[in-house]
This record gives sequence, C-alpha cells and structure tokens, in this order.
Amino acid sequence: MWGVVKSVLAAFFGVQKERQRQHDFSEGKPVAFIMTGIVLAVALVIAILLVATLASR
Amino acid sequence: MRKTYVLAALITGLAGLERNALANGWNMPVGVTEVSRHVHGLHMTIFWICVVIGAVVFSVMFYSLFRYRRSKGAQAANFHEHTTVEIFWTAIPLLILVAMAIPATATLRHMYDASEADLEVMVTGHQWRWHYDYVGEDVGYFSNLTTPREQIDGTQAKDANYLLEVDQPLVLPVDRKVRLLMTSSDVIHSWWVPDLAVKKDAIPGFVNEAWTRIDEPGIYRGQCAELCGKDHGFMPVVVHAMAQDEFDAWLAERKQEAAAAASGVDRNWTLPELMERGEQVYGSICASCHQPEGQGLPPTFPALVGNQALLEDLEGHIDTVVNGVAGTPMPAFSGTLNAVDIAAVITFERNAWGNDTGDIIQPSTIQAQLSP
Repeated sequence: MWGVVKSVLAAFFGVQKERQRQHDFSEGKPVAFIMTGIVLAVALVIAILLVATLASR
Repeated sequence: MRKTYVLAALITGLAGLERNALANGWNMPVGVTEVSRHVHGLHMTIFWICVVIGAVVFSVMFYSLFRYRRSKGAQAANFHEHTTVEIFWTAIPLLILVAMAIPATATLRHMYDASEADLEVMVTGHQWRWHYDYVGEDVGYFSNLTTPREQIDGTQAKDANYLLEVDQPLVLPVDRKVRLLMTSSDVIHSWWVPDLAVKKDAIPGFVNEAWTRIDEPGIYRGQCAELCGKDHGFMPVVVHAMAQDEFDAWLAERKQEAAAAASGVDRNWTLPELMERGEQVYGSICASCHQPEGQGLPPTFPALVGNQALLEDLEGHIDTVVNGVAGTPMPAFSGTLNAVDIAAVITFERNAWGNDTGDIIQPSTIQAQLSP
C-alpha cells in the first residue's frame, strides 16, 4: 500500500526511479493506482484550498 | 578582487540600461498609483529572475559546448536516467515559481478589492468611443477622438498625442478611490491606461469592476486593448486627474449643463438651432460609420444622403436612432444621447447634404418616446 502511495506521489512530482517503474508495471493492479491517484488528487485540492484560505485571512 | 570589480561594473551597467529603457518608453511605466508601482516592481523582479536564469543556463551551455568539443576528444556520457538530477531540475523551478507567485497574488488581491470607493464611474464601450457616467450624479458623456482626419490620412504632420486625444476626457479627483464599472453596448472592448495599471475588458451583458487611486494630477492616456472592429485604434482613453476642489467645480458645472439641456426639451427649437447642434452630434457620433458627408459605407453602414426609404419614413428614422436596429451595428441611443441631441441629429440628417425634407423634429417629440 505504501509503495503505491509513493509511486503516485512520484508521478505527481514527475520523477520516478526506473527500477520502481519496472516493478509497478509488472506487479500490482491498475485499479489500486487509479483509486490512490483520485484520493490523493482530492487531498491535494483540499490542501491548496486550505493554504489559500489561511493565506488570504 | 578583479572578479568583484567586473561583477560590480556589470550590475551598474545593467541598472543604467534599465533606467535608459524606462526613460525611452521601452519599459512598462512606473505609473502614478500605488498599484501601478507594485505592478512595475513585480515586472522588474520577474524580469531580473529571468535574466539570471538565462545567464546561468546559457553560460553552462556555451561553456560545455566549448570545453567538451569533439576536436578535443570529448566522449559523450551514456546514461539513461539520473533520479537525483531529475529531482533537482524539477524542484528548483517549482520553488522559483512559488517565490514569484506569492508577491504576484498579493498584488492581484489588492487590485481586485474595489470596496469602499469614494466615487463610482460607469465606463461603457461603444463602437468606437467610450461613454462615462458618474453614478448617482446625472452626469454622463461620450469621449470622442479629436485627431484631425488629415493627420490620419498623412497629409498633415502628426502631433505628439496622435490618436491619443479626445474631446472630453474622463475627469477624476486625485487621492480618491475611484471604482470603475466596465461594460459594453456592442462587442468586447478593453479599457486600458498603462499609467494607472488598469486594463479591464468591457463585455456586453457583464459588469466588470476595477479601481484606481491617482497620486498626481495630470493627463494619462491609453487605448482600447481588445480588437473591436474598424475603428478599434481610434477610441483612445484619456484620464484627466485633478485636485478634489477642482473636480467638484467641474462636476457642478457639468450638472448645470445637464440641467440646461434638460430644460431645452420643452421649448420649440428653430431649424438653424437644430441644424447647428445636429451637425456637432453627427460629427462626433454618427460620422465614423455613416461618413462625414452621409454617403455611408454600404452594405454595412447605409448611406443617409438621398436614402428615399429613410426620408419618406420619419417615424422609422426616429425609431432607428432611439432604439437601434437589432442584428446590425446600429446601436440604440436612447440611453446615451439626450432628447435634444437626438432631435437635432435627426433634423440634421433630414436636411443636410441636399436631403431638403424641411422636417423639424422637436426635442419634446423625442422625449415622449424616451420616457418609459
């Protein structure tokens, strides 16, 4: 599970180790990556909203 | 030691270049408002960040090209990916962008806060002139280009304010927060005055807002910044900023003029009176489309001279000017010209250039159509 989160975060940042990429594409299910991606994207939007709200107070 | 001197000389030289660019009008103006100074400061900060990045990147590139050239036996490194380097070249631009976004967002938030204004002016874009309306003061007028046709055609020397001069500028008091409500009666225009750092689209059916607080009395010039048709380059913005007491006197005078115009509605006007007034209105409002001699620019802008359909239908002529013609560029003037101006311009059109109908349209007739 932690490995999937790390891979999704690496994708957000845009940099990934070649070894990890090979591993992700040979093992694990795509559904896990897609769901984690959606959850983390929502979390990112909420985080940005929070920062913006705090900064504009 | 020597390197320090070179660096100091370089920085002094660059600063001199910057001042020179500003003095020559190549750079964005510093302007005369707090916001315009912030915007100029941001612009210069980001400009110098770009200069430093450019200098570093190109130095490394040209050094590498020279140092590792093939004639010196350089061998290309052959590797596929390097995670550490990739993290660096992603994180550094991210940090630079965030560092630029923080002051930029602070300035934007300041620009968008049009609350607690001392004065409100409605700015309406028309093809091709601006209309200013002092909200709650019963003062409103068109601002028309005054550059002579001869300068535009090139038969006369162009003066310093070529295409940046109008008959009636927007008059504003200094040291007061002025809220500008922007809209348009036809197509999208954009009200732009660089010295105020205000550039806002005027969109039909929407009201955009902007604000300014001018520090120094003076005349500030700008242009329409959104391509809006044939005379887009012929509808400048001129702002005349003056001290509060001068502004109050000016506003009182304009109110008196408006009251005098309103009282003129009830009396009977003679043909020469209407013709004189109508010629002025025609020249500033109608001539840009229907042409100075009424010949029009068919098929878009119909001719008025010798137009039988028009001359035989007085009611239709009045309706066209008052209510406009849907689906054509002809706007309704019921909200922007008063009854005297409309009556005068219709009388003028029906009697000028050999259109000798002898029709006299009284302002009271028009007033009856304007009243809801």
